Amino acid sequence: MRTKLGWALSVLGVLVAVLGAVVMVLLGPDSRFTTGPHAIETDETAVVTAPKVITWADVQVDVLAEVPVRKPIFVGLGNSVDVADFVRRTGRLEVTSFKRPWRLTTRNVDGAANLPGAPTAVDWWIASSAGLGGASISTRLPDETVSLAILSVGSSNLTGLEVTMAYGVEGGFAKGAGMLLLGVGTVWLGLLVRRGRDEDWDDWEDEVEEDVVYVYVDEHGVEHEITAEEAGDFEVVEEVVEEVVEEEAAPRPVTEPAPADEAVHDPDSVAPTGPAPSVPGVLTAADVANVAAATPASEQVLYVYVDEDGVEHEVSEAELAEFEIVDEEDDS
Amino acid sequence: MRKLALALAGSLVLAACAVPHDRGAVKVEKESAGQAEVTAVFDRYRKVRNTAIELLDAKPLSTVESGAVLAIDSGSFEVSQRLAKTQKEDTAAVEVTDVLTPRFTKYPLWFYAVVREQSVGVNRVQIFERQSSVDPWLLTATPETLAETQLPEIRTQGGAALTVSPADGRGMAMSPKEAATAYAKVLSTPDSAEAGKIADDSFIKQMRSAAETNSGLKGVGFQQSWGANDVKYVLRTSDGGALAFVTLLRLDTYVVQPGLTVTWPEGTPQQAFLSSGISGSGKLRYYHQVLLYIPGGNGKPRALGQYGGVVSADSGLTQE
Repeated sequence: MRTKLGWALSVLGVLVAVLGAVVMVLLGPDSRFTTGPHAIETDETAVVTAPKVITWADVQVDVLAEVPVRKPIFVGLGNSVDVADFVRRTGRLEVTSFKRPWRLTTRNVDGAANLPGAPTAVDWWIASSAGLGGASISTRLPDETVSLAILSVGSSNLTGLEVTMAYGVEGGFAKGAGMLLLGVGTVWLGLLVRRGRDEDWDDWEDEVEEDVVYVYVDEHGVEHEITAEEAGDFEVVEEVVEEVVEEEAAPRPVTEPAPADEAVHDPDSVAPTGPAPSVPGVLTAADVANVAAATPASEQVLYVYVDEDGVEHEVSEAELAEFEIVDEEDDS
Repeated sequence: MRKLALALAGSLVLAACAVPHDRGAVKVEKESAGQAEVTAVFDRYRKVRNTAIELLDAKPLSTVESGAVLAIDSGSFEVSQRLAKTQKEDTAAVEVTDVLTPRFTKYPLWFYAVVREQSVGVNRVQIFERQSSVDPWLLTATPETLAETQLPEIRTQGGAALTVSPADGRGMAMSPKEAATAYAKVLSTPDSAEAGKIADDSFIKQMRSAAETNSGLKGVGFQQSWGANDVKYVLRTSDGGALAFVTLLRLDTYVVQPGLTVTWPEGTPQQAFLSSGISGSGKLRYYHQVLLYIPGGNGKPRALGQYGGVVSADSGLTQE
């Protein structure tokens, strides 16, 4: 599980980092992609985008419109209902489709040579600018249907119009850098998870570790821990599986993962198949079993007489009849 | 670890904020006005109206009013000028209690507002309209209701008020357009076939009473006729009905026998327009803006409020 999650985090991190890097490369430090200037052939008073041409939102758009000989020009972005009404009686070049980076489909719409009023006098433009020879706007596309209008002001027209456009994401370069860092961090997190070095990991997963402990119980009921090798000489009478789930807040020491070939972590090695090697000076399970077998089955009873000074005197079983038994103590 | 995972998820969510996105199937529509725009419209209206009152001249009103409202207010100013009376400036705080902005796919745009006039105990239910993208916002309807009159709740969708086509009578006893026509017919001819379809409300009673008084003048032939203008502003109410703004034109015609003159009391609008009274024949034209409620189901349409006055007069016509 830990390995899978680690890999998933690593892959996600790489994707996020690559995406961040791509955003940074595409947008550049100014966070936008620029195209133009592009010449637009028209002698009309207005160039407008049709209502459904701009379908994107939250894109930072910069538009620079330039005309020769310092002719007055206006650039504005407004709700399509407003723009369509404003130019409805004016002869215009209507942009019916736009494909990035710059591919336009246009149509000419016949109408009056003049606009119904000065575009600078209306209050519904989302962004607008007017100037002599050129005008530019920089705005973020809102979440409503908008149209872009380039309008000639006064009695001039838009002959010689050139448009430069830039689009991007506000703070896009910084966001790309943030994504890159986030991706790198996620990759690093994935590596940590895969290596199991994350200290908090056990809190998250509540993983149950399996430890096999071999225990020999002697005739007094005392348990003695023995090795797997020693256990080979004994008959397994009981297997107790005990789950220990540590509390979340409890600190836990860092444990190095055991090598994969260590039998203690391998559930299949409960019964070792090979002969148990004998170690000099160490009592093997067989020795323990032999000692246990030599122990007399009956228990030896010790009788004690306590005199008036509190001193204990050992007495035989034959002398015992002369005393009164006041206490029977089981030392076992 | 859990905190770390949450932080990671949060970072990804934040990174997705304000990300450029294609809006897909876009709808070409516009909410008629934003809150700031509505505030600016009211501020401008009040400023211009106070200027007109100060000058005792209705001309500035043409920049903030149009249609029947402008006609009624111009008549009111004319009365004030002729009677040399000053009107009261609107210095009280404007209390706009409700603003509803429908969405439109094309011009004209309009919005609905309720303004409380606490000093006179009325609510003005107003419509401001922008005829085209280059026109200013103008007040086009302003019927008044009593402060205690309960206005029907307007149905909204996505924060915008729903409108009803004037010819759409689904879910109602009749369409707003039919209701306006029937209402005018009932006022003109009380015993017409439409009388059973319209509620006998206080406005109808008041108009009939005035007409009966005029008809009772000895030696005077009196005739009153009513007509309804096209209905333009209709909102859907939450009961499935409609709230329509209906403009009615009332024409009072007097035919006076030779040697007689009809006069009005000092200070009345009629006296201001016809200072020497009517000898022979004369006509008085009125505009009445009626707030007509057409309930959902089979309920009869009824007026909740009105605003009206004399807009013009003719006198001294030769009796035919």
